[in-house]
Amino acid sequence: MSQSVLIPATKPVIEQRRRGLSVKKTIVFIFFGILLVTQLYPLLWLLIYSLKTNEEILSGSFFAFPAIWQWENYANAVGGGKYWNYLSNSLFVTSITMAGVIFLSSLAAFAITRFRWKYGQVVMLIFLLGMMIPMQGTLLPLMVIFKNMNILNTHLSLILPYIAFQTPISVFILSGFMRTIPQEIEESAIMDGAGVFRIFRSIILPVSVPPIMTVCILTFINIWNEYIMAATFISSEKLKTLPFGVYSFVSQYSVNYGAIGAFLVLGALPVIIIYFLLAEKITKGMVAGAVKG
Amino acid sequence: MNVLKVSRWTIAAFVLPCLLLYVCLVFIPILVSIYSGTLDWNGIGASKFVGFANYTKMFTNDSVFWPALGRTFLLAGFSMLVQVPIALFVAILISRYVRKPNFLVSSYFLPVILSVVVIGQLWKTIYNPASMGGMINQILIQLGLDSWTHSWLTEPKVAIFAVILVSLWQYLGYHILIQFTGIQNIPADIYEAAKIDGAEGFKADRYITLPMIVPIFKISVVLSFIGSLQSFDLIMVMTGGGPAHATDVISSHMYNMSFLSMKYGYGSAIATFLVFVCLLATLIINFLFSRLDKRYS
Repeated sequence: MSQSVLIPATKPVIEQRRRGLSVKKTIVFIFFGILLVTQLYPLLWLLIYSLKTNEEILSGSFFAFPAIWQWENYANAVGGGKYWNYLSNSLFVTSITMAGVIFLSSLAAFAITRFRWKYGQVVMLIFLLGMMIPMQGTLLPLMVIFKNMNILNTHLSLILPYIAFQTPISVFILSGFMRTIPQEIEESAIMDGAGVFRIFRSIILPVSVPPIMTVCILTFINIWNEYIMAATFISSEKLKTLPFGVYSFVSQYSVNYGAIGAFLVLGALPVIIIYFLLAEKITKGMVAGAVKG
Repeated sequence: MNVLKVSRWTIAAFVLPCLLLYVCLVFIPILVSIYSGTLDWNGIGASKFVGFANYTKMFTNDSVFWPALGRTFLLAGFSMLVQVPIALFVAILISRYVRKPNFLVSSYFLPVILSVVVIGQLWKTIYNPASMGGMINQILIQLGLDSWTHSWLTEPKVAIFAVILVSLWQYLGYHILIQFTGIQNIPADIYEAAKIDGAEGFKADRYITLPMIVPIFKISVVLSFIGSLQSFDLIMVMTGGGPAHATDVISSHMYNMSFLSMKYGYGSAIATFLVFVCLLATLIINFLFSRLDKRYS
Protein backbone atom coordinates (compact mmCIF):
# COMPACT_ATOMS: atom_id res chain seq x y z
CA MET A 1 0.00 0.00 0.00
CA SER A 2 2.89 2.34 0.74
CA GLN A 3 3.50 3.07 -2.95
CA SER A 4 0.16 4.66 -3.60
CA VAL A 5 0.28 6.63 -0.35
CA LEU A 6 2.87 8.97 -1.80
CA ILE A 7 0.75 10.06 -4.74
CA PRO A 8 -1.80 12.22 -2.91
CA ALA A 9 0.93 13.60 -0.68
CA THR A 10 3.25 14.94 -3.39
CA LYS A 11 1.19 17.99 -4.29
CA PRO A 12 1.34 19.55 -0.83
CA VAL A 13 5.07 18.86 -0.78
CA ILE A 14 5.50 21.11 -3.80
CA GLU A 15 3.31 23.77 -2.25
CA GLN A 16 5.31 23.55 0.91
CA ARG A 17 8.59 24.17 -0.88
CA ARG A 18 7.11 27.20 -2.53
CA ARG A 19 5.87 28.73 0.68
CA GLY A 20 8.56 27.35 2.90
CA LEU A 21 6.19 25.69 5.34
CA SER A 22 6.97 23.21 8.04
CA VAL A 23 7.64 19.50 8.12
CA LYS A 24 4.52 19.22 10.24
CA LYS A 25 2.33 20.02 7.30
CA THR A 26 3.95 17.31 5.18
CA ILE A 27 3.33 14.73 7.88
CA VAL A 28 -0.28 15.83 8.17
CA PHE A 29 -0.80 15.51 4.42
CA ILE A 30 0.82 12.06 4.34
CA PHE A 31 -1.64 11.13 7.07
CA PHE A 32 -4.54 12.49 4.97
CA GLY A 33 -3.20 10.46 2.03
CA ILE A 34 -3.05 7.23 4.02
CA LEU A 35 -6.58 7.80 5.20
CA LEU A 36 -7.73 8.53 1.66
CA VAL A 37 -6.20 5.26 0.50
CA THR A 38 -7.79 3.22 3.29
CA GLN A 39 -11.20 4.78 2.61
CA LEU A 40 -11.15 4.49 -1.18
CA TYR A 41 -8.71 1.71 -2.10
CA PRO A 42 -11.12 -1.15 -1.21
CA LEU A 43 -13.62 0.32 -3.68
CA LEU A 44 -10.98 0.68 -6.38
CA TRP A 45 -9.77 -2.84 -5.66
CA LEU A 46 -13.32 -4.10 -6.18
CA LEU A 47 -13.48 -2.34 -9.54
CA ILE A 48 -10.24 -3.99 -10.73
CA TYR A 49 -11.28 -7.31 -9.25
CA SER A 50 -14.53 -7.17 -11.21
CA LEU A 51 -12.59 -7.00 -14.49
CA LYS A 52 -10.32 -9.98 -13.91
CA THR A 53 -10.60 -13.63 -14.79
CA ASN A 54 -10.94 -16.20 -12.02
CA GLU A 55 -7.28 -17.25 -12.57
CA GLU A 56 -6.03 -13.70 -12.17
CA ILE A 57 -8.05 -13.21 -8.99
CA LEU A 58 -6.76 -16.42 -7.46
CA SER A 59 -3.15 -15.88 -8.54
CA GLY A 60 -2.49 -13.49 -5.67
CA SER A 61 -1.34 -10.48 -7.68
CA PHE A 62 -3.82 -8.13 -6.09
CA PHE A 63 -2.17 -4.92 -7.31
CA ALA A 64 -1.95 -5.98 -10.94
CA PHE A 65 -4.38 -4.78 -13.57
CA PRO A 66 -6.14 -7.49 -15.56
CA ALA A 67 -4.28 -8.59 -18.73
CA ILE A 68 -7.47 -8.33 -20.72
CA TRP A 69 -10.30 -6.35 -19.19
CA GLN A 70 -13.05 -8.88 -18.72
CA TRP A 71 -16.11 -6.88 -19.62
CA GLU A 72 -17.96 -10.15 -19.99
CA ASN A 73 -18.07 -10.34 -16.19
CA TYR A 74 -20.48 -7.44 -16.45
CA ALA A 75 -22.35 -9.14 -19.26
CA ASN A 76 -22.69 -12.20 -17.00
CA ALA A 77 -23.85 -10.09 -14.09
CA VAL A 78 -26.43 -8.18 -16.13
CA GLY A 79 -27.43 -11.19 -18.22
CA GLY A 80 -30.79 -12.68 -17.38
CA GLY A 81 -32.09 -9.21 -16.62
CA LYS A 82 -32.07 -9.66 -12.85
CA TYR A 83 -30.06 -6.52 -12.28
CA TRP A 84 -32.51 -4.32 -14.19
CA ASN A 85 -35.37 -5.93 -12.34
CA TYR A 86 -33.81 -5.21 -8.91
CA LEU A 87 -32.89 -1.71 -10.02
CA SER A 88 -36.38 -0.85 -11.21
CA ASN A 89 -37.89 -2.28 -8.01
CA SER A 90 -35.56 -0.08 -5.96
CA LEU A 91 -36.41 2.95 -8.09
CA PHE A 92 -40.12 2.27 -7.69
CA VAL A 93 -40.08 1.68 -3.93
CA THR A 94 -37.72 4.57 -3.21
CA SER A 95 -39.55 7.12 -5.34
CA ILE A 96 -43.00 6.25 -3.97
CA THR A 97 -41.57 6.39 -0.44
CA MET A 98 -39.97 9.79 -1.10
CA ALA A 99 -43.19 11.20 -2.52
CA GLY A 100 -45.20 9.80 0.39
CA VAL A 101 -42.78 11.09 3.02
CA ILE A 102 -42.70 14.60 1.56
CA PHE A 103 -46.46 14.80 1.08
CA LEU A 104 -47.46 13.48 4.50
CA SER A 105 -44.75 15.08 6.61
CA SER A 106 -45.06 18.52 5.02
CA LEU A 107 -48.82 18.49 5.70
CA ALA A 108 -48.19 17.51 9.31
CA ALA A 109 -45.34 19.97 9.79
CA PHE A 110 -47.52 22.75 8.37
CA ALA A 111 -50.34 21.96 10.80
CA ILE A 112 -47.98 21.67 13.78
CA THR A 113 -46.23 24.98 13.17
CA ARG A 114 -48.81 27.25 11.53
CA PHE A 115 -52.27 26.39 12.91
CA ARG A 116 -53.66 27.95 16.06
CA TRP A 117 -54.53 24.84 18.11
CA LYS A 118 -53.68 23.34 21.46
CA TYR A 119 -52.14 20.01 20.62
CA GLY A 120 -49.43 20.93 18.12
CA GLN A 121 -46.64 20.39 20.64
CA VAL A 122 -48.14 17.08 21.79
CA VAL A 123 -48.13 15.76 18.23
CA MET A 124 -44.58 16.98 17.80
CA LEU A 125 -43.54 15.17 20.97
CA ILE A 126 -45.05 11.92 19.71
CA PHE A 127 -42.98 12.22 16.55
CA LEU A 128 -39.83 13.04 18.53
CA LEU A 129 -40.28 9.95 20.71
CA GLY A 130 -40.31 7.83 17.59
CA MET A 131 -36.83 8.89 16.57
CA MET A 132 -35.39 6.84 19.43
CA ILE A 133 -37.24 3.64 18.55
CA PRO A 134 -35.04 1.03 16.88
CA MET A 135 -36.48 -0.43 13.70
CA GLN A 136 -35.60 -3.99 14.75
CA GLY A 137 -38.13 -3.87 17.59
CA THR A 138 -40.95 -3.61 15.07
CA LEU A 139 -39.85 -6.27 12.55
CA LEU A 140 -41.70 -9.18 14.07
CA PRO A 141 -45.02 -7.47 14.88
CA LEU A 142 -45.01 -5.78 11.47
CA MET A 143 -44.56 -9.14 9.79
CA VAL A 144 -47.52 -10.56 11.70
CA ILE A 145 -49.64 -7.47 10.91
CA PHE A 146 -48.75 -7.57 7.22
CA LYS A 147 -49.45 -11.27 7.04
CA ASN A 148 -52.92 -10.66 8.46
CA MET A 149 -53.47 -7.79 6.04
CA ASN A 150 -52.36 -10.08 3.22
CA ILE A 151 -49.76 -7.63 1.97
CA LEU A 152 -46.67 -9.59 2.98
CA ASN A 153 -44.38 -10.07 -0.01
CA THR A 154 -45.69 -7.00 -1.86
CA HIS A 155 -43.99 -3.66 -2.36
CA LEU A 156 -46.64 -2.11 -0.12
CA SER A 157 -45.18 -4.01 2.85
CA LEU A 158 -41.93 -2.10 2.29
CA ILE A 159 -43.30 1.31 1.31
CA LEU A 160 -45.63 1.65 4.32
CA PRO A 161 -43.02 1.07 7.06
CA TYR A 162 -40.40 3.01 5.08
CA ILE A 163 -42.66 6.07 5.03
CA ALA A 164 -43.56 5.59 8.69
CA PHE A 165 -39.93 5.37 9.80
CA GLN A 166 -38.85 8.39 7.78
CA THR A 167 -41.65 10.69 8.98
CA PRO A 168 -40.30 11.66 12.45
CA ILE A 169 -37.02 13.11 11.17
CA SER A 170 -38.80 14.66 8.16
CA VAL A 171 -41.51 16.34 10.24
CA PHE A 172 -38.79 17.56 12.57
CA ILE A 173 -36.66 19.09 9.80
CA LEU A 174 -39.64 20.60 7.96
CA SER A 175 -41.31 22.07 11.03
CA GLY A 176 -37.99 23.51 12.15
CA PHE A 177 -37.92 25.45 8.90
CA MET A 178 -41.61 26.33 8.65
CA ARG A 179 -41.56 27.84 12.12
CA THR A 180 -39.22 30.55 10.79
CA ILE A 181 -41.52 31.71 7.97
CA PRO A 182 -42.95 35.10 9.02
CA GLN A 183 -46.64 35.21 9.97
CA GLU A 184 -47.26 38.29 7.82
CA ILE A 185 -47.20 36.11 4.73
CA GLU A 186 -50.29 34.25 5.87
CA GLU A 187 -51.97 37.43 7.10
CA SER A 188 -51.73 39.03 3.69
CA ALA A 189 -52.75 35.78 1.98
CA ILE A 190 -55.87 35.60 4.12
CA MET A 191 -56.65 39.24 3.23
CA ASP A 192 -56.44 38.25 -0.40
CA GLY A 193 -58.96 35.52 0.31
CA ALA A 194 -56.72 32.46 0.05
CA GLY A 195 -57.88 29.30 1.83
CA VAL A 196 -55.72 27.04 3.99
CA PHE A 197 -54.92 24.56 1.25
CA ARG A 198 -54.10 27.39 -1.12
CA ILE A 199 -51.71 28.94 1.43
CA PHE A 200 -50.05 25.58 1.92
CA ARG A 201 -49.69 24.80 -1.76
CA SER A 202 -48.78 28.19 -3.20
CA ILE A 203 -46.88 29.85 -0.36
CA ILE A 204 -45.49 27.45 2.25
CA LEU A 205 -44.44 24.61 -0.04
CA PRO A 206 -42.54 26.76 -2.55
CA VAL A 207 -40.49 28.51 0.13
CA SER A 208 -39.78 25.19 1.87
CA VAL A 209 -37.85 23.71 -1.04
CA PRO A 210 -34.43 23.65 0.74
CA PRO A 211 -35.56 21.55 3.72
CA ILE A 212 -37.62 19.38 1.37
CA MET A 213 -34.40 18.67 -0.55
CA THR A 214 -32.75 17.66 2.72
CA VAL A 215 -35.63 15.30 3.46
CA CYS A 216 -35.39 13.87 -0.06
CA ILE A 217 -31.70 13.13 0.33
CA LEU A 218 -32.05 11.53 3.75
CA THR A 219 -34.96 9.41 2.59
CA PHE A 220 -33.18 8.37 -0.58
CA ILE A 221 -29.98 7.25 1.16
CA ASN A 222 -31.81 5.42 3.94
CA ILE A 223 -34.41 3.68 1.81
CA TRP A 224 -32.27 2.89 -1.22
CA ASN A 225 -29.83 0.99 1.00
CA GLU A 226 -32.36 -0.65 3.31
CA TYR A 227 -31.76 -4.36 3.51
CA ILE A 228 -33.24 -5.96 6.64
CA MET A 229 -36.92 -5.16 6.07
CA ALA A 230 -36.63 -6.05 2.39
CA ALA A 231 -35.06 -9.41 3.28
CA THR A 232 -37.72 -10.05 5.92
CA PHE A 233 -40.91 -9.00 4.14
CA ILE A 234 -40.11 -9.89 0.52
CA SER A 235 -39.57 -13.39 -0.79
CA SER A 236 -40.37 -13.38 -4.51
CA GLU A 237 -37.45 -12.93 -6.85
CA LYS A 238 -39.25 -10.37 -9.03
CA LEU A 239 -40.04 -8.03 -6.11
CA LYS A 240 -36.56 -7.82 -4.55
CA THR A 241 -34.91 -4.42 -4.20
CA LEU A 242 -31.28 -3.87 -5.14
CA PRO A 243 -29.48 -4.53 -1.80
CA PHE A 244 -31.43 -7.74 -1.24
CA GLY A 245 -30.96 -8.66 -4.91
CA VAL A 246 -27.20 -8.14 -4.66
CA TYR A 247 -27.17 -10.35 -1.59
CA SER A 248 -29.04 -13.20 -3.26
CA PHE A 249 -27.01 -12.93 -6.47
CA VAL A 250 -23.76 -13.15 -4.56
CA SER A 251 -24.88 -16.15 -2.52
CA GLN A 252 -25.91 -17.99 -5.69
CA TYR A 253 -22.83 -17.37 -7.84
CA SER A 254 -20.21 -18.38 -5.34
CA VAL A 255 -17.62 -19.56 -7.90
CA ASN A 256 -17.65 -16.87 -10.59
CA TYR A 257 -15.64 -14.28 -8.64
CA GLY A 258 -15.44 -11.74 -11.42
CA ALA A 259 -19.19 -11.71 -11.98
CA ILE A 260 -19.78 -11.30 -8.24
CA GLY A 261 -17.41 -8.34 -8.23
CA ALA A 262 -19.18 -6.90 -11.25
CA PHE A 263 -22.57 -7.26 -9.58
CA LEU A 264 -21.28 -5.53 -6.44
CA VAL A 265 -19.94 -2.67 -8.55
CA LEU A 266 -23.28 -2.41 -10.33
CA GLY A 267 -25.03 -2.50 -6.96
CA ALA A 268 -22.98 0.45 -5.72
CA LEU A 269 -23.04 2.36 -8.99
CA PRO A 270 -26.40 4.22 -8.81
CA VAL A 271 -25.58 5.78 -5.44
CA ILE A 272 -22.01 6.60 -6.49
CA ILE A 273 -23.24 8.37 -9.65
CA ILE A 274 -25.72 10.40 -7.66
CA TYR A 275 -23.02 11.18 -5.10
CA PHE A 276 -20.70 12.46 -7.82
CA LEU A 277 -23.42 14.80 -9.04
CA LEU A 278 -24.71 15.97 -5.68
CA ALA A 279 -21.87 15.36 -3.21
CA GLU A 280 -22.16 18.68 -1.45
CA LYS A 281 -25.95 18.54 -1.17
CA ILE A 282 -25.78 14.98 0.13
CA THR A 283 -23.16 15.68 2.78
CA LYS A 284 -25.08 18.77 3.92
CA GLY A 285 -28.31 16.81 4.03
CA MET A 286 -26.77 13.97 6.02
CA VAL A 287 -25.29 16.41 8.54
CA ALA A 288 -28.65 18.16 8.88
CA GLY A 289 -30.26 14.78 9.47
CA ALA A 290 -27.67 13.81 12.07
CA VAL A 291 -27.62 17.12 13.88
CA LYS A 292 -31.36 17.40 14.08
CA GLY A 293 -31.84 13.75 14.94
CA MET B 1 -49.13 33.57 17.80
CA ASN B 2 -50.24 31.66 14.76
CA VAL B 3 -52.82 33.40 12.61
CA LEU B 4 -54.42 30.42 10.92
CA LYS B 5 -57.62 29.54 12.76
CA VAL B 6 -59.04 26.46 11.11
CA SER B 7 -61.74 23.93 11.81
CA ARG B 8 -61.10 20.66 13.53
CA TRP B 9 -61.66 18.84 10.26
CA THR B 10 -58.95 20.78 8.51
CA ILE B 11 -56.48 20.04 11.27
CA ALA B 12 -57.41 16.36 11.06
CA ALA B 13 -56.96 16.36 7.29
CA PHE B 14 -53.45 17.75 7.65
CA VAL B 15 -52.18 15.81 10.66
CA LEU B 16 -54.00 12.50 10.76
CA PRO B 17 -52.73 10.76 7.60
CA CYS B 18 -49.15 11.16 8.73
CA LEU B 19 -49.77 10.58 12.42
CA LEU B 20 -51.95 7.51 11.94
CA LEU B 21 -49.53 5.79 9.59
CA TYR B 22 -46.71 6.53 11.97
CA VAL B 23 -48.53 5.42 15.14
CA CYS B 24 -49.84 2.25 13.48
CA LEU B 25 -46.51 1.16 12.04
CA VAL B 26 -44.05 2.33 14.70
CA PHE B 27 -45.75 2.74 18.06
CA ILE B 28 -48.31 -0.02 18.01
CA PRO B 29 -45.78 -2.66 16.86
CA ILE B 30 -43.56 -1.75 19.79
CA LEU B 31 -46.50 -2.18 22.17
CA VAL B 32 -47.37 -5.48 20.48
CA SER B 33 -43.76 -6.50 20.88
CA ILE B 34 -43.84 -5.73 24.60
CA TYR B 35 -46.99 -7.81 24.91
CA SER B 36 -45.78 -10.78 22.89
CA GLY B 37 -42.59 -10.77 24.93
CA THR B 38 -44.71 -12.27 27.69
CA LEU B 39 -45.98 -15.13 25.52
CA ASP B 40 -44.78 -18.57 24.63
CA TRP B 41 -45.63 -18.44 20.95
CA ASN B 42 -44.22 -19.78 17.69
CA GLY B 43 -46.07 -17.23 15.53
CA ILE B 44 -48.62 -19.63 14.07
CA GLY B 45 -50.20 -21.85 16.72
CA ALA B 46 -51.81 -21.02 20.04
CA SER B 47 -49.97 -18.72 22.39
CA LYS B 48 -49.64 -19.10 26.13
CA PHE B 49 -49.13 -16.26 28.61
CA VAL B 50 -45.96 -16.90 30.59
CA GLY B 51 -45.37 -13.54 32.33
CA PHE B 52 -41.71 -12.77 32.75
CA ALA B 53 -40.52 -16.30 31.98
CA ASN B 54 -38.92 -15.17 28.69
CA TYR B 55 -36.94 -12.52 30.52
CA THR B 56 -35.87 -14.92 33.24
CA LYS B 57 -34.69 -17.32 30.56
CA MET B 58 -32.92 -14.50 28.72
CA PHE B 59 -30.97 -13.31 31.78
CA THR B 60 -30.22 -16.64 33.43
CA ASN B 61 -30.52 -19.47 30.96
CA ASP B 62 -29.40 -18.33 27.51
CA SER B 63 -25.76 -19.03 26.75
CA VAL B 64 -25.82 -16.68 23.74
CA PHE B 65 -27.44 -13.63 25.35
CA TRP B 66 -24.69 -12.26 27.63
CA PRO B 67 -21.81 -12.76 25.18
CA ALA B 68 -23.98 -11.14 22.49
CA LEU B 69 -24.68 -8.18 24.79
CA GLY B 70 -20.96 -8.00 25.55
CA ARG B 71 -20.12 -7.86 21.84
CA THR B 72 -22.75 -5.17 21.31
CA PHE B 73 -21.00 -3.02 23.90
CA LEU B 74 -17.60 -3.98 22.47
CA LEU B 75 -18.71 -2.57 19.14
CA ALA B 76 -20.15 0.52 20.83
CA GLY B 77 -16.94 0.94 22.81
CA PHE B 78 -14.70 0.74 19.75
CA SER B 79 -16.96 3.14 17.94
CA MET B 80 -17.07 5.72 20.74
CA LEU B 81 -13.49 5.43 21.98
CA VAL B 82 -11.63 4.82 18.72
CA GLN B 83 -13.71 5.94 15.76
CA VAL B 84 -15.18 9.18 17.12
CA PRO B 85 -11.90 10.50 18.64
CA ILE B 86 -9.98 9.69 15.42
CA ALA B 87 -12.71 11.48 13.48
CA LEU B 88 -12.39 14.53 15.74
CA PHE B 89 -8.62 14.52 15.31
CA VAL B 90 -8.91 14.29 11.52
CA ALA B 91 -11.60 17.00 11.48
CA ILE B 92 -9.37 19.37 13.45
CA LEU B 93 -6.42 18.67 11.13
CA ILE B 94 -8.52 19.21 8.01
CA SER B 95 -9.97 22.48 9.22
CA ARG B 96 -6.47 23.69 10.15
CA TYR B 97 -4.43 22.59 7.12
CA VAL B 98 -6.69 22.19 4.13
CA ARG B 99 -7.89 25.25 2.30
CA LYS B 100 -10.33 23.46 -0.02
CA PRO B 101 -11.57 20.63 2.17
CA ASN B 102 -14.58 19.53 0.11
CA PHE B 103 -12.80 16.88 -1.93
CA LEU B 104 -11.11 15.30 1.07
CA VAL B 105 -14.21 15.28 3.28
CA SER B 106 -16.51 13.93 0.59
CA SER B 107 -14.02 11.21 -0.34
CA TYR B 108 -13.79 10.07 3.27
CA PHE B 109 -17.57 10.13 3.36
CA LEU B 110 -18.13 7.93 0.29
CA PRO B 111 -18.34 4.54 2.07
CA VAL B 112 -21.13 5.90 4.30
CA ILE B 113 -23.66 6.15 1.50
CA LEU B 114 -23.03 2.67 0.11
CA SER B 115 -25.36 -0.16 0.93
CA VAL B 116 -24.29 -2.38 3.81
CA VAL B 117 -24.78 -5.35 1.49
CA VAL B 118 -22.18 -4.03 -0.95
CA ILE B 119 -19.81 -3.08 1.87
CA GLY B 120 -20.28 -6.41 3.63
CA GLN B 121 -19.76 -8.48 0.50
CA LEU B 122 -16.78 -6.38 -0.55
CA TRP B 123 -15.07 -6.98 2.79
CA LYS B 124 -16.02 -10.63 2.77
CA THR B 125 -14.09 -10.85 -0.49
CA ILE B 126 -11.18 -8.90 1.02
CA TYR B 127 -11.14 -11.26 4.02
CA ASN B 128 -11.32 -14.41 1.86
CA PRO B 129 -8.51 -16.98 2.11
CA ALA B 130 -5.67 -16.18 -0.31
CA SER B 131 -6.62 -19.19 -2.40
CA MET B 132 -10.00 -17.54 -2.99
CA GLY B 133 -8.54 -14.17 -3.94
CA GLY B 134 -8.74 -12.43 -0.54
CA MET B 135 -6.62 -9.28 -0.52
CA ILE B 136 -5.50 -9.15 3.11
CA ASN B 137 -4.20 -12.70 3.17
CA GLN B 138 -2.49 -12.22 -0.20
CA ILE B 139 -0.73 -9.11 1.10
CA LEU B 140 0.38 -10.95 4.23
CA ILE B 141 1.77 -13.83 2.16
CA GLN B 142 3.68 -11.46 -0.13
CA LEU B 143 5.16 -9.76 2.91
CA GLY B 144 6.28 -13.18 4.11
CA LEU B 145 3.94 -13.11 7.07
CA ASP B 146 2.23 -16.40 6.26
CA SER B 147 1.72 -17.15 9.92
CA TRP B 148 -0.41 -14.00 10.28
CA THR B 149 -2.95 -15.14 7.74
CA HIS B 150 -6.31 -16.01 9.14
CA SER B 151 -9.57 -17.21 7.88
CA TRP B 152 -10.83 -13.90 9.20
CA LEU B 153 -14.56 -14.47 9.27
CA THR B 154 -14.68 -18.11 10.26
CA GLU B 155 -12.28 -18.21 13.20
CA PRO B 156 -14.40 -17.51 16.29
CA LYS B 157 -11.72 -15.42 18.03
CA VAL B 158 -11.00 -12.97 15.22
CA ALA B 159 -14.35 -12.88 13.41
CA ILE B 160 -15.99 -10.25 15.62
CA PHE B 161 -12.99 -7.92 15.31
CA ALA B 162 -13.00 -8.37 11.54
CA VAL B 163 -16.64 -7.26 11.48
CA ILE B 164 -16.05 -4.36 13.89
CA LEU B 165 -13.20 -3.12 11.70
CA VAL B 166 -15.54 -2.91 8.71
CA SER B 167 -18.11 -1.00 10.73
CA LEU B 168 -15.46 1.46 11.94
CA TRP B 169 -14.17 1.82 8.38
CA GLN B 170 -17.58 2.50 6.88
CA TYR B 171 -18.75 5.16 9.33
CA LEU B 172 -15.47 6.96 10.04
CA GLY B 173 -16.26 9.43 7.25
CA TYR B 174 -19.66 10.17 8.75
CA HIS B 175 -18.16 11.27 12.05
CA ILE B 176 -15.40 13.22 10.30
CA LEU B 177 -18.06 15.06 8.31
CA ILE B 178 -20.26 15.81 11.34
CA GLN B 179 -17.41 17.12 13.46
CA PHE B 180 -15.77 18.98 10.62
CA THR B 181 -19.06 20.80 10.02
CA GLY B 182 -19.20 21.52 13.75
CA ILE B 183 -15.72 23.06 13.71
CA GLN B 184 -16.57 25.12 10.61
CA ASN B 185 -19.51 26.61 12.46
CA ILE B 186 -17.33 27.98 15.26
CA PRO B 187 -17.12 31.74 14.57
CA ALA B 188 -13.70 32.73 13.22
CA ASP B 189 -13.45 35.88 15.38
CA ILE B 190 -13.13 33.73 18.50
CA TYR B 191 -9.90 32.29 17.10
CA GLU B 192 -8.72 35.76 16.14
CA ALA B 193 -9.39 37.04 19.64
CA ALA B 194 -7.52 34.07 21.06
CA LYS B 195 -4.59 34.72 18.74
CA ILE B 196 -4.24 38.19 20.23
CA ASP B 197 -4.25 36.62 23.67
CA GLY B 198 -1.49 34.29 22.52
CA ALA B 199 -3.47 31.07 21.97
CA GLU B 200 -2.69 29.46 18.62
CA GLY B 201 -2.48 25.99 17.14
CA PHE B 202 -3.15 23.16 19.52
CA LYS B 203 -3.60 25.53 22.42
CA ALA B 204 -6.49 27.13 20.56
CA ASP B 205 -7.91 23.67 19.89
CA ARG B 206 -7.68 22.75 23.55
CA TYR B 207 -9.39 25.88 24.85
CA ILE B 208 -11.72 26.83 21.97
CA THR B 209 -12.41 23.97 19.57
CA LEU B 210 -12.96 21.24 22.15
CA PRO B 211 -15.35 23.17 24.43
CA MET B 212 -17.23 24.70 21.51
CA ILE B 213 -17.67 21.37 19.76
CA VAL B 214 -19.12 19.51 22.75
CA PRO B 215 -22.73 19.61 21.41
CA ILE B 216 -21.66 18.24 18.01
CA PHE B 217 -19.38 15.71 19.65
CA LYS B 218 -22.38 14.55 21.65
CA ILE B 219 -24.32 13.95 18.44
CA SER B 220 -21.46 11.81 17.13
CA VAL B 221 -21.33 9.82 20.36
CA VAL B 222 -25.09 9.27 20.45
CA LEU B 223 -25.14 8.24 16.81
CA SER B 224 -22.25 5.84 17.22
CA PHE B 225 -23.69 4.30 20.37
CA ILE B 226 -27.24 3.92 19.10
CA GLY B 227 -25.90 2.82 15.72
CA SER B 228 -23.81 0.12 17.38
CA LEU B 229 -26.71 -1.12 19.48
CA GLN B 230 -28.82 -1.45 16.37
CA SER B 231 -26.20 -2.48 13.85
CA PHE B 232 -26.87 -5.92 12.69
CA ASP B 233 -27.37 -5.63 8.97
CA LEU B 234 -23.59 -5.76 8.54
CA ILE B 235 -23.38 -8.82 10.76
CA MET B 236 -26.29 -10.50 8.99
CA VAL B 237 -24.60 -9.89 5.64
CA MET B 238 -21.09 -10.90 6.67
CA THR B 239 -21.50 -13.77 9.13
CA GLY B 240 -25.16 -14.16 10.10
CA GLY B 241 -23.96 -14.28 13.72
CA GLY B 242 -21.72 -17.30 13.14
CA PRO B 243 -19.41 -19.17 13.41
CA ALA B 244 -21.26 -20.79 16.31
CA HIS B 245 -22.67 -17.47 17.60
CA ALA B 246 -19.16 -15.97 17.77
CA THR B 247 -20.32 -12.73 16.12
CA ASP B 248 -23.86 -12.58 17.46
CA VAL B 249 -24.93 -9.24 18.87
CA ILE B 250 -28.23 -8.50 20.62
CA SER B 251 -30.15 -7.64 17.49
CA SER B 252 -28.83 -10.52 15.39
CA HIS B 253 -29.66 -12.87 18.27
CA MET B 254 -33.17 -11.39 18.31
CA TYR B 255 -33.47 -11.86 14.55
CA ASN B 256 -32.25 -15.44 14.59
CA MET B 257 -34.53 -16.36 17.49
CA SER B 258 -37.59 -14.77 15.86
CA PHE B 259 -37.17 -15.65 12.24
CA LEU B 260 -35.00 -18.76 12.15
CA SER B 261 -35.87 -20.55 15.39
CA MET B 262 -39.48 -19.31 15.21
CA LYS B 263 -39.51 -18.37 18.90
CA TYR B 264 -41.69 -15.29 18.44
CA GLY B 265 -42.36 -14.74 22.12
CA TYR B 266 -38.74 -15.03 23.08
CA GLY B 267 -37.60 -12.91 20.14
CA SER B 268 -40.07 -10.21 21.16
CA ALA B 269 -38.69 -10.22 24.68
CA ILE B 270 -35.18 -9.60 23.32
CA ALA B 271 -36.56 -6.86 21.03
CA THR B 272 -38.25 -5.19 23.99
CA PHE B 273 -35.01 -5.35 25.94
CA LEU B 274 -33.22 -3.72 22.98
CA VAL B 275 -35.75 -0.87 22.76
CA PHE B 276 -35.42 -0.32 26.50
CA VAL B 277 -31.60 -0.23 26.34
CA CYS B 278 -31.71 2.24 23.45
CA LEU B 279 -33.99 4.64 25.33
CA LEU B 280 -31.95 4.30 28.51
CA ALA B 281 -28.65 4.85 26.68
CA THR B 282 -29.94 8.01 25.00
CA LEU B 283 -31.05 9.37 28.37
CA ILE B 284 -27.74 8.54 30.07
CA ILE B 285 -25.60 10.05 27.30
CA ASN B 286 -27.74 13.21 27.28
CA PHE B 287 -27.41 13.46 31.06
CA LEU B 288 -23.61 13.04 30.99
CA PHE B 289 -23.20 15.63 28.27
CA SER B 290 -25.47 18.16 29.95
CA ARG B 291 -23.08 18.01 32.93
CA LEU B 292 -20.10 18.39 30.62
CA ASP B 293 -21.82 21.34 28.96
CA LYS B 294 -22.34 23.04 32.30
CA ARG B 295 -18.73 22.59 33.27
CA TYR B 296 -17.53 24.31 30.14
CA SER B 297 -20.00 27.21 30.08
